[in-house]
Amino acid sequence: MKGLRASIAAALLVLALYAGLIVSLAWFLDGAILRETLLSERTLFSVRLSLLAATLATVLALLLAIPAAYALSRHRFPGREATETVLEFPIIVSPAALGAILLIFFNNPLGEWIQENVLYFVFGFAGIVLAQFVTVLGLAVRMLKAAFDEVPVELETVARTLGASPWHGFFTITLPLAKNGLIAAFILTWAKALGEFGATLMVAGSMAMRTETLPIAIYLRLSNADLEGTVALILILVTIGLTALYVARRLLGKAAYA
Amino acid sequence: MLEIEDLTAQAGGFRLGGVSLAVAEGECHAVLGPSGSGKSTLLNAVLGTLPVVSGRVLLFGEDLTRLPIERRHLGYVPQHLGLFPHLTVLDNLTYSARARRVPEAEYRPLLDRLTEITGIGALLDRRIATLSGGERQRVALVRALAANPRLVLLDEPFTALNESLRRELWWLVKDLQRERGLTVLMVTHDLTEAHFLAERITVLIDGRQAQSGDKHAVYRRPANTAVARFLGLKNLFPARVLEAGGVDCPLLGGRIGVTGSTLPAGEAWLAIRAEHVALRTPADPPREGETRLNGRFEAVLDLGESALLRFRAATGAVLEVRCGSRVLRKYRLQPGDAGVVGLPANDLFVIPATTPAA
Repeated sequence: MKGLRASIAAALLVLALYAGLIVSLAWFLDGAILRETLLSERTLFSVRLSLLAATLATVLALLLAIPAAYALSRHRFPGREATETVLEFPIIVSPAALGAILLIFFNNPLGEWIQENVLYFVFGFAGIVLAQFVTVLGLAVRMLKAAFDEVPVELETVARTLGASPWHGFFTITLPLAKNGLIAAFILTWAKALGEFGATLMVAGSMAMRTETLPIAIYLRLSNADLEGTVALILILVTIGLTALYVARRLLGKAAYA
Repeated sequence: MLEIEDLTAQAGGFRLGGVSLAVAEGECHAVLGPSGSGKSTLLNAVLGTLPVVSGRVLLFGEDLTRLPIERRHLGYVPQHLGLFPHLTVLDNLTYSARARRVPEAEYRPLLDRLTEITGIGALLDRRIATLSGGERQRVALVRALAANPRLVLLDEPFTALNESLRRELWWLVKDLQRERGLTVLMVTHDLTEAHFLAERITVLIDGRQAQSGDKHAVYRRPANTAVARFLGLKNLFPARVLEAGGVDCPLLGGRIGVTGSTLPAGEAWLAIRAEHVALRTPADPPREGETRLNGRFEAVLDLGESALLRFRAATGAVLEVRCGSRVLRKYRLQPGDAGVVGLPANDLFVIPATTPAA
């Protein structure tokens, strides 16, 4: 009984820690500055840039992650284990290091050639999207693989005995049954891309009104000791993030086959 | 018809080797065997989910071995049924027609007939999650048959059901098979199910084809002790086939007459099914060709419809005896009672000594 109480107390302590930190922002919350910051052109630029970059990075990540996750879930192939291990890479390597790796890559001959002939990434919008894409790709593949693992292979086999091609079976059976996991993966990947800071800073820099995503904007305002403005931006980011988490939890909480 | 020719298939570290069998058109063939014997591997090789290492699978003369699953035109009911949970019953039943773009006018008459026979007409708008176990089995069966397959594969689909529901579905499958002239290959570990539904059976043991043939022949005369044990035969005794005819079995009292043995002289096993061991009284007159054993009943179990007894003969042999509950009541047997059993020569048979019995 004592153990149960202690464990519940620990769980509530976790809640209190994060809730307390958010509530503590109120100390520097100023209504007038909050309104002014929220409606300023610079903030709106940051919000627009963040939403656009995170959405683009997420869509690109999912386009690669869906087939990759399906292959990892369903097939044994050479390099499968290595691929699964690499998915942990963005978790064990800090985003700043990941961004630095990208920056260094664009300074080698191949990277320079890509920048000159394909797309210029460093210190630009493409750099922000790439930094977020690289950071969230592993997470997207892991979440999608879990979603595909939930769908029994037997259903695809039965679909094929009923005359469905592998593609038809995938689109009519696997994808609809993995739908909730897919949507949850999109939301969580998008939320992580939205909050990405370290890799973005390395690849795209911190230029106001140019590469100033919301996390970069928070960093810049804090660097200038603008605490009220920082709090306003944090509240925007926290609101978007918590809403995304809430929606994802609702979807993940539903029975997979409901 | 289905012909499996010297089929070898690999599933991970497990290898199923050298299986050959034929299923005639309109016939049901059951593949039996203990867990890990290769039943599912064989079915998956026919289905196409498992690559064939060597050998061929022919269906009405067409080689299926390298054909994609969707082009084999097989009906498949897996153990867990594989019903699509996000679709209604009707959408499950018409999935094949939609996948193959068959016009409704073509598939509807068969579908209507099948839903009528199976009594699932009222379920068509329901979701799979709302169906009972028996209803799900019926839907899975109809879905497999609605595609008008050339061969139906059943992978232990009735395992999870209670006895009464299983029997009900066995009758249903039997009726469907008769009406539709279905060719069926089924996998099961249940001997009663195999006997009920199939005409011929194949027994797999440790990834090898141990025996194939008419179900009665396999049941009456297992090819070796492994098959015998799997088929529930407990009464196996080391013996020697004599050149002069008959069998010498010390545990059953010496030389015994056995009808119809064609084994050459040498080491063998003497066997008799539990239900063929007859209960006798000391007053019963001797019967021609019957070996009598005196002894004691060590255990008596009344199972309701039948009774199971363990009899220790004075010669040292321990026999399992099965009789009707009425017979048990007639003899009023209790554990520890002395008694007599008879082994009719017609029911004794000899099994080659290729594998140990214990």
